Amino acid sequence: MTRIVVFLLALLAAFPALATETLSEGQVLRGAFVQERFLKGFQAPLKSEGRFALAPGRGLIWRTEIPFAVTTVMSPAGLVQEVKGNETMRLPAARLPFMSKLYTMLGGALTGDWKALEDMFAVERGGGADAWTLHLTPRRADDPTMPIRAIDVRGGRFVDEVEIVKPDGDRDRLTFRDQLLKAEPPTADEAALLASAGRS
Amino acid sequence: MRRLGALLWLALVLLASGYLALRLHDGLGFRTDLLALLPREEQDPVLQRANDAVTKALGRRVLALVGHADRETARKAATTLGDALLATGQVERIGEGIDVDRLKRLGALYFPHRQSLLSDGDRALLAAGKGEEVATRALSQAFGFAGLVDAGLLRNDPFLLLPSFLTNLPFPLSRLTPDEGMLSVTENGTTWVLVSAVLAGEPFELDLQDRLVGAFDAAVRDMPGVTVKRLGAVFFAHAGSKTAITEASTLGTLSLVGTILLVGLAFRRPGPLLHNLLALGVGMTVGLSGSLLLFGELHVAALLFGSSLIGVAVDYSLHYSASLFDPLSGSPSDRLRHVLPGIALGLVTTLIGYAALMLAPFPGLRQIAAFSIIGLVGAFLTVVLWLPSLDRARRLTHGAWMLRAAAGLWSFWEARRWRAVRLVLVLGCALAGAVGLARLSADDDVRRLQAVSAELKHEQDEIQRLIGATTAAQFLLVQAADDEAALRRQEDLAATLAGLKAKGSIAGYQMPAAFVPSARTQRENRTLVATALDGPLLAAQRASLGLPPADPNDKGPNKAPEGVLTLDDALAADSVPFLRELVLGPGLHVVALQGLSDPDAVRAAVAGTAGVRLVDPTADFSALLAKYRHRALLLTGLAGLLMLPVLIWRYGWRGGLWALLPPGAALILAPAVVGLMGQDFTFFHAMALVLILSIGVDYAVFCAESGVEEQPVTMLAVWLATLTTLLSFGMLTFSAVPAVHSFGVTMLVGISIAFLFAPLAARGTRHNETTNDARLL
Repeated sequence: MTRIVVFLLALLAAFPALATETLSEGQVLRGAFVQERFLKGFQAPLKSEGRFALAPGRGLIWRTEIPFAVTTVMSPAGLVQEVKGNETMRLPAARLPFMSKLYTMLGGALTGDWKALEDMFAVERGGGADAWTLHLTPRRADDPTMPIRAIDVRGGRFVDEVEIVKPDGDRDRLTFRDQLLKAEPPTADEAALLASAGRS
Repeated sequence: MRRLGALLWLALVLLASGYLALRLHDGLGFRTDLLALLPREEQDPVLQRANDAVTKALGRRVLALVGHADRETARKAATTLGDALLATGQVERIGEGIDVDRLKRLGALYFPHRQSLLSDGDRALLAAGKGEEVATRALSQAFGFAGLVDAGLLRNDPFLLLPSFLTNLPFPLSRLTPDEGMLSVTENGTTWVLVSAVLAGEPFELDLQDRLVGAFDAAVRDMPGVTVKRLGAVFFAHAGSKTAITEASTLGTLSLVGTILLVGLAFRRPGPLLHNLLALGVGMTVGLSGSLLLFGELHVAALLFGSSLIGVAVDYSLHYSASLFDPLSGSPSDRLRHVLPGIALGLVTTLIGYAALMLAPFPGLRQIAAFSIIGLVGAFLTVVLWLPSLDRARRLTHGAWMLRAAAGLWSFWEARRWRAVRLVLVLGCALAGAVGLARLSADDDVRRLQAVSAELKHEQDEIQRLIGATTAAQFLLVQAADDEAALRRQEDLAATLAGLKAKGSIAGYQMPAAFVPSARTQRENRTLVATALDGPLLAAQRASLGLPPADPNDKGPNKAPEGVLTLDDALAADSVPFLRELVLGPGLHVVALQGLSDPDAVRAAVAGTAGVRLVDPTADFSALLAKYRHRALLLTGLAGLLMLPVLIWRYGWRGGLWALLPPGAALILAPAVVGLMGQDFTFFHAMALVLILSIGVDYAVFCAESGVEEQPVTMLAVWLATLTTLLSFGMLTFSAVPAVHSFGVTMLVGISIAFLFAPLAARGTRHNETTNDARLL
């Protein structure tokens, strides 16, 4: 499951490179998101909304605001989840085996090197520069530990929508809007959160 | 009469040779573990069983870390290594058994009981009335970033109690994480992949060692650029037995060649050399086949010590052959008659010494004693029954200078002009003895007795650092009337253990109760879940998640059963890794400890808990060694006492005591020299004393039996006997195995002193009037 987390981080960071904008260190990408989880046996999708901040090389802050406040912070040092200031989960990077590999993948994608990503997924590209699509399928679909059946990405200047299909048919859909790229360091608040994920 | 005896002896020797040839043809099984030389502890069979089970489980583990900068290369190399080990047929299984299949079974075992299983953290939260926090955590995981939760689980376990329990199970190997089915850890850009195996047999079987370590080394050779670190008793045992076997052949060859050269140079005739070799060969053959017949197998150490028998067995034939130098010597039969009392008495006293060795309940030492007794009797019978008939040698005349030189020692103890030197020597010895004994301290740590390869030790430390704490040889043994009581005992102990972990005395622990809580705790958990979660929060939780309200009449397969998960269920499913090794029997459980840094703190912390104790196999063995070190000293004293009546019968009170003086001096001075050298006195030093007494008394008897005219010839025989003994036992000083080295040093010093003082034994015997009149000082 941590794989998905890290993987999304990679995706989020990677796709601006595919679009016209390229992320680099020293910049911060901020925006709003809607996450919908379509789960079998549930009457409605589990829907959450909030804001995110992505600082290349430093990490990702994922603040869910609706239906209630959960903050997830991912950094090279690990992952932390907080609810109302209480830590509910902490995974140090040492317990995330793919961490270093996916950071390589992320770093590669940022600079236009797709090899690491394409080693793991078959990538089908579609659309033009202003409205592109990507369809990713795992190269080793028979691997029982592979938790993803397919990933669909749609974007323009930034990534607009990501849909992840699980082997059992459950789907997660992430929609992004109001994305803004600024060449500035993270705010003090963001920096504190990113640092908190580094404590072991 | 002798003819008949000689023929009977020939028949027996042929029989023994035939048996030995047969056994050699079938392939000999040698044992190599030093611990097999030690006695089995008989006082507490439960403890012994637990000790055996845990030590065996640990001993059979093989761990290797395969490292490379490239993850794929490391993974491929790890797979290759695992396959190579499996292909030897000496390995039961590869891997920790934490594969996807097993994890699925683990989930299937726990899932029906999810309401009875709580992680420690959740239990504390619920008990404190903080059910809200548990509910919020589940919601945050359902709604939070990237949705970490499986839908099916969320429907059946809306508070996500089972994932919390599973992720808090105390699996060892803390720094390793599963990475596509392989446990690995990444450090400084190198990916280390774990290859673990469980041996099908004992790590001390030579054949298994050779095949497994051979396959391991071959596989590693074929992986250029890949770093492999290894850990496991089998590697240490293999290195140890390689050393022992190389040493046994090197030292054995040196000893044999040295002895042949010595005898050849002394007699300058092939006859005496062949006689000595014959006596030796027969002694070794009957000794080896006799002990194989008695014990079925032999320990490598018995072979190593036993091969030193060369030095003792040759004494009798040397004594016989040396009589060739006697100007008064007659026919071979006359010469035999002449030396017979000396060598017979020597044999009897030596056998008394070895018989004392037999009294010690050490399987390995019994083998050594049996080997030696049979071998010595064989050598003796060969001298008495065969040599006179085979002997065609004439009196030797070239030995004048040797006789003069040999007799020098005797005159040193007699001549008036040496009095001052004697005085200095005796006082010096007394002083050295007093100082040395005062400085002597004992050390019984069994770990210091085995030669441990520094390279392997380094790799072991590296592995422990990379994968985190490894399981200690020490463990807690929990004993109770039944499983339920034992599980409760562990739960009561959990707070103590958590405290020890917080203090850093241990890095972690696994107890069966962490995998299967007691029925008492499971019932408490159900009540807690019902009152603190389901009652107040379930309806709201399901609504938040968008699930339909729970159906109170649901009796579907996902409804938790009323019963509790039992240890027997968990064991039968064989889905919980490590659990099998922790449950030795009903009510007899092991709490494994990781990264134990302070055994005393753990011992003290559990001291007050009934039915729980820290078992430390190494310390137990060390304590046992201490006990038997004392016993070996007692055996030496006993052997001396048993020899005394024989000596008194032959030489009278005064003479008997004089005859015991040289070996007695050696017994006191040898440990003193060990003390002066700064070595600690161990069990193996003590065992050497038994042999010093046996061999030393031989020299004393040879001297005491000698008439004045024969003194030079006797002394020559004793010189040769001493040199051959030093060539064999003394050689052990150069062994890399500390235990053997200790034995060798003691022998070297003790035998030299027994030889130096040997002429004193002749005082007090009736036929040595002149000697009696000489003054010692």
